[in-house]
Amino acid sequence: MHRALRFALREYIAAVKTKGFIIGLVLAPIMMSGGAIAFFLLKDRVDTTDKTVVVIDRSGVLAPAILEAAEERNARDLYDEATREKVRPAYLFETVVPDEADPTSQRLALSERVRKGELHAFMEIGSAVVHPGENTDTRRIAYYGRSAAMDDLRGWVQWPINNTLRALRLEDAGIDQAQVSDLFHWVEIEGMGLVSVDEETGEVSEAARATPFESLLVPIIFMFLMFLMIMMSVPGMVQSVMEEKTQRIAEVLLGSIKPFEFMMGKVMGGIAVSLTSSLVYIVGGVVFVEAMAIQEFVPYRVLPWFFVYMLFAIVMFGAYAAALGSVCNEPKDAQSLTFPAILPAVIPVFVYFPVAKEPLSTFATWMSLIPPFAPTLMILRIATPEPVPVWQPIAGLVGVVIFTLLSVWVGGRLFRTAILMQGTPPKFASILRWALRG
Amino acid sequence: MTAIELSGVTKTFGTHTAVDDLQLTVPRGSVYGFIGPNGSGKTTTLRMIMNILYPDRGEIRIFGETLHSSWMERIGYMPEERGLYKRMKVADHLRFLAGLKGMKDARIEVRRWLERFDLAPWANKKIETLSKGMAQKVQFIATVVSRPELVILDEPFTGLDPVNTDALREAILELQRGGTTVIFSTHDMNMAERMCDFIFMIFRGRKVLDGTLESIQDQFGNDTIRIRTEDGMTVLADLPGVQKVNDFGQMQEIRLASGADSQAILGAVMRRTRIRSFDIVRPSLHDIFVRIAGPETQEADHA
Repeated sequence: MHRALRFALREYIAAVKTKGFIIGLVLAPIMMSGGAIAFFLLKDRVDTTDKTVVVIDRSGVLAPAILEAAEERNARDLYDEATREKVRPAYLFETVVPDEADPTSQRLALSERVRKGELHAFMEIGSAVVHPGENTDTRRIAYYGRSAAMDDLRGWVQWPINNTLRALRLEDAGIDQAQVSDLFHWVEIEGMGLVSVDEETGEVSEAARATPFESLLVPIIFMFLMFLMIMMSVPGMVQSVMEEKTQRIAEVLLGSIKPFEFMMGKVMGGIAVSLTSSLVYIVGGVVFVEAMAIQEFVPYRVLPWFFVYMLFAIVMFGAYAAALGSVCNEPKDAQSLTFPAILPAVIPVFVYFPVAKEPLSTFATWMSLIPPFAPTLMILRIATPEPVPVWQPIAGLVGVVIFTLLSVWVGGRLFRTAILMQGTPPKFASILRWALRG
Repeated sequence: MTAIELSGVTKTFGTHTAVDDLQLTVPRGSVYGFIGPNGSGKTTTLRMIMNILYPDRGEIRIFGETLHSSWMERIGYMPEERGLYKRMKVADHLRFLAGLKGMKDARIEVRRWLERFDLAPWANKKIETLSKGMAQKVQFIATVVSRPELVILDEPFTGLDPVNTDALREAILELQRGGTTVIFSTHDMNMAERMCDFIFMIFRGRKVLDGTLESIQDQFGNDTIRIRTEDGMTVLADLPGVQKVNDFGQMQEIRLASGADSQAILGAVMRRTRIRSFDIVRPSLHDIFVRIAGPETQEADHA
């Protein structure tokens, strides 16, 4: 096996010495969390141009309330208190008299003004909104704009309108205005962790307030780190085995090492690459956590599981990917086989949210026990504050180990047959035959 | 003592029998040439000796022992299709391959071979910067740098210029003088005639020739006349007792029909033109190769 190790060392050096590895190390987490980072950076980048909306108020009671609320908002929220910089647009409302004779023409004229950019939008308030009856035309409020569905202003204006409507209805029902805030006080239910006995002091610890950071974000970070580790070594494996085959390096190597050592050398090189990257991320993560003083939210107990699962995941997926790479004869083949190579690793990403939300559900439990999904989903589950039974990560690992051995065995047979097979296009039937017959 | 012993070795791919019931004994310290047309089973045989392919039937013994993967360290193999990591540096690549053969420190040996092939200035250059000929020499060094007892070279001379061909030939003969057994396959019949102690020819998966050049030529006897005349090929048509005439321009080679008399042919040609030279010789390896695997055989098979 020393030959496989020597080969693995070459693979490792060849991989980590490239600029691509260093760039990938930096870029991969950015790509993975790209959406979140972009959202964070761009969330304050709003258009601060003032927005004028025309109101056709048939109810006769809402327009003054809207104007008043808008004035209040414009006076309060437009400028950053510290920098005095304008950070939000002013909402300006104009009222127009409804054209009862020809409402269609009025709508058309206002639409034209919106198209020309004179107006941001216009809205039409039905006459019976305070006490809506059966007539759908008179009880509705319509908002006309270029992108009305996603319009922030439309979202904002619902508040003053509904607050006013509620107050008017209560007044009509004879309820005192003073009681309104009391009547409608909304109580938020706080999410708390469980109370437990401190093993050292014997005292009952106070329950910590459960945060989405602890219960959702940290487990998801762990899961995506595992996914990233698999993705850093597996698709590249198909490509590099294909290259060694097509550039005829494979046969030179097979003059010195057994096909199985060849495959395992590649897989072990992949493990070393993933260990290096994961250590970089985890050490970086720990430094970040210490600096931010948020240690209490990080389940360090997960780390040993993480590394054990990662080790087997790389072998399991790596052997499978190396075998698929060995049947390729040209880059086109490798491209089309990369998808089936990464598919078992990608499926957990589609289901991570329900699993993270309810890690003890039957669905989450079973999914995390399926060997190809276990490395990502089991880590996700045990990184949540939920008490996942101890037998489950162990059972998941046993399944992964068995599946890994199977993958190495079948992969080895396929690899041995296919690596010297030139010009035979990879068909599913022949891949299956080579894998089964050896 | 024998270096390699193949007995009853058979290998099939699907319905195609690539090597059929092959018997072969390669004496230790010899240079053994494998010849045969493309697709006749040379590479498959070499790959089986390398334990890269496994025979369906038969046995392969290396230095008296059953073939085992532990033998890999003692055999150097240069496949027909050369393959090197393009991004690796020459010396690093050679040390890596020597390491796979179990050589702990190959630095001195790598330097010695690079100097021998005038490649020392390229030691720290990447493989991708080398010319094809240079890369081929690097591939040869990679095969022999770990001082293997048995060296297998699949068409080592293909693509080399005459200077590099000579350098490679000398290196192979030097290995032999050092006690190494060398097997190489080639399409260059002159090279096989001049270098090999033994020649083995495989055709359609079966052994058709095996022995020293002399013993092979003996099988065919003195049935060839090399002749130079003033009128060349034109006067050699329709001679009695002639099986075939090969025209080389300045010289013609006449293959006698069985039982024909060379003196009668000499007389017949003399009556037609003036003869400049007339040699009765044994057939060349090239001629023997063509007799076995040439178009005549193919036609006879199709008839």
